[in-house]
Amino acid sequence: MNVVELKHVTKRFDQFVAVKDVSFEVRQGTIFGLLGPNGAGKTTSIRMIVNIFAPDDGDVLVMNKHVTNEMQSHIGYLPEERGLYKKMKIEDQLIFFANLKGIDTTEATRRADDWLKRLELADWKGKKPTDLSKGMQQKVQFIASVIHDPDVMILDEPFSGLDPVSVNLLKNVILDLKQRGKTIIFSTHQMEQVEQMCDDICLINHGTQVLSGGLKAVKRRYGKNTVILDHEGPDSFLQSDLVKQHKRFPNYSEILLNDSADAQEVLKSAIAAGARVNRFELVEPSLNEIFIESVTGKASGNGSEQ
Amino acid sequence: MNKVLIIIKREYLVRVRTKAFMIGTIISPLLMLGLVTLPIFFATRGGGERRVTVLDQSGDPDLFDALNRTTSGKFDSPDQLDKRDPGVGNTTYRLTRRVVTSNEEMQSALAELQAKAASDPDSTYLVLRPGSLDKIEPEYYAKNTSDFSIGTLERSINEAVSGLRLKRAGLDQAQIAVYTRRVELKTNKVTASGEVKEGGRADFIVAFIMLFFIYMSVLIYGLFVMRGVIEEKSSRIVEVLVSSVKPTQMMLGKVIGIGLVGLTQIGVWALTALLLTTFGVSAFSARGLTLPNIPVSLLIYFVVYFVLGYFLFATLYALVGATVSSEEEAQQAQIPVTLLLVVPMVIFNMIIANPTSGSSIVLSMVPFFAPTLMLMRIAVVNPPLWQVLLSMAIMVATILLCVWVAAKIYRVGILMYGKRPNIAELGRWLRYN
Repeated sequence: MNVVELKHVTKRFDQFVAVKDVSFEVRQGTIFGLLGPNGAGKTTSIRMIVNIFAPDDGDVLVMNKHVTNEMQSHIGYLPEERGLYKKMKIEDQLIFFANLKGIDTTEATRRADDWLKRLELADWKGKKPTDLSKGMQQKVQFIASVIHDPDVMILDEPFSGLDPVSVNLLKNVILDLKQRGKTIIFSTHQMEQVEQMCDDICLINHGTQVLSGGLKAVKRRYGKNTVILDHEGPDSFLQSDLVKQHKRFPNYSEILLNDSADAQEVLKSAIAAGARVNRFELVEPSLNEIFIESVTGKASGNGSEQ
Repeated sequence: MNKVLIIIKREYLVRVRTKAFMIGTIISPLLMLGLVTLPIFFATRGGGERRVTVLDQSGDPDLFDALNRTTSGKFDSPDQLDKRDPGVGNTTYRLTRRVVTSNEEMQSALAELQAKAASDPDSTYLVLRPGSLDKIEPEYYAKNTSDFSIGTLERSINEAVSGLRLKRAGLDQAQIAVYTRRVELKTNKVTASGEVKEGGRADFIVAFIMLFFIYMSVLIYGLFVMRGVIEEKSSRIVEVLVSSVKPTQMMLGKVIGIGLVGLTQIGVWALTALLLTTFGVSAFSARGLTLPNIPVSLLIYFVVYFVLGYFLFATLYALVGATVSSEEEAQQAQIPVTLLLVVPMVIFNMIIANPTSGSSIVLSMVPFFAPTLMLMRIAVVNPPLWQVLLSMAIMVATILLCVWVAAKIYRVGILMYGKRPNIAELGRWLRYN
């Protein structure tokens, strides 16, 4: 079942087209990655899902119905630009946000307590945001967006500014929510996180959809055209017709092959050039590569054209 | 509707619980109460007896007799008898004459009395230097010279000296007091219902106080609304809020919540004022001041115009808050709105001088001026009811229009950061989906 569905959605602000004919489907119980460079139209798309904006053309469906304000209580939204009231106690803020989503105060107090314990903030509930570190405030904001136990959660850069321990804690919470059948729309620039967590993705650039579908299918579409080569010795063999682009990392090289090139030929030329090969692996391109190539129209790295 | 209530509750509690509100609402009127009543309290409590040694070098025995008579409350003119300060009347002066004949004797007497007066505040002395009665300059010495009762003493001395002068000129002071008795003009206000009330200055004072109060409270609470909007915007809480409530609900909740804070404060103040008038009135009249009598109907009009005026301006301030990104920008952007509020403060003189003229009537109908100017006219001339109702109707219509426009702009503005929009852009915002 599709929990969220965008059908040929377009949104304009004056002459500027923020989102143009975008369609995607988010299946229930999955984590969906909404990707794109800054200003691509991600936030506008999200705002239409949570009914802050109405689309000019097309349909935005949440649980097979057009979004209404009543539906907002089924959605939890953690915006990228987020904040807390400076002069209000943490617990009071959480209760306030829960109240707005239709949870009564007694129930909200209980849930706030549970969540604060779970995210290791129990000692801070009587404090004001100014007493909290940025990371702690962020966890509080996360709680505010899930305290009403929504069916759909939209998390925009949920991990930015968190230390690795907190990132791990929050990741486990998100995966746990998925286990419980919740649907999560996840927007980030951290491609490793998308590779780790997302089932499906949609990539938007300049308001138009560039890529969409299952993460694995998308990667497969690009084929195994990348070689990871851990080698010692000369690099000269990399300047060849076989190699479209390459990136030299301290411990290995990531080599993007030309369309018709055979990986075996690269290995041969490396050995012929006198390099010592420790590892040779043919892989799918990283999502990072796919992202950059889709957005800029060319692959990243110091290409062979140098 | 329920969501608006939740927002009202937050806006109200978060402000009422602050120290600033407690101080502003409870402590400042208490201070005011104290400032007004304490001096009266101490003045009336003053009392006691002053032993005044009169060092008399004037060589005029009649003078001391006259002084003795007036300071003990025996005035020659009947008019003066009831004009003694009632509040200070408790202090009695007991005069003892000590005739001094030479300057040397005066020096030693002064030194002796000075030592005594320095240690005993009730022991004082009055010096009458030699010279004619026409140019007499009595000197009074006491440890405490900020005593309210010194005024009474001065009046008694004046009374005694001028009485003596008149007597020596062959005139009877009692008779003169009758001839020169002050005439008081009684001003009466004529109202449409033919009822005649006492009016005049008191009405003007009431009108001015109300004008000022409406102006101040609408300005202060209007700016609270603006700051509240900016706070939510600059701390980026809006984005979370709009995913739960409609922007219009947010705006209404904020405007109503802060308005209730204002009404609470005004309520507490009104109660204090009521206490002050009930308990302070006797003290005031004792000091010769009469408090203007404020009719209940005027108080009701005050509340109605405060609510209407607040709603109108708070909506506009919310609109301004939504179009800016920081307090600094707001300083400039709020000027047009504040000007609308200030204009009546500049032209109210014109209205009060001629409250029934055509221009006064028209100006008091302008929705932005009505809360101040119409209220002022109500206080001063009791305009026909239709004018009052019309001004309210115009205000309600304007408020509805402003809420509609502000809600549209608010909706877009709270999510816009960066450059301040110009009028044309604001116009386009009205048409967004």
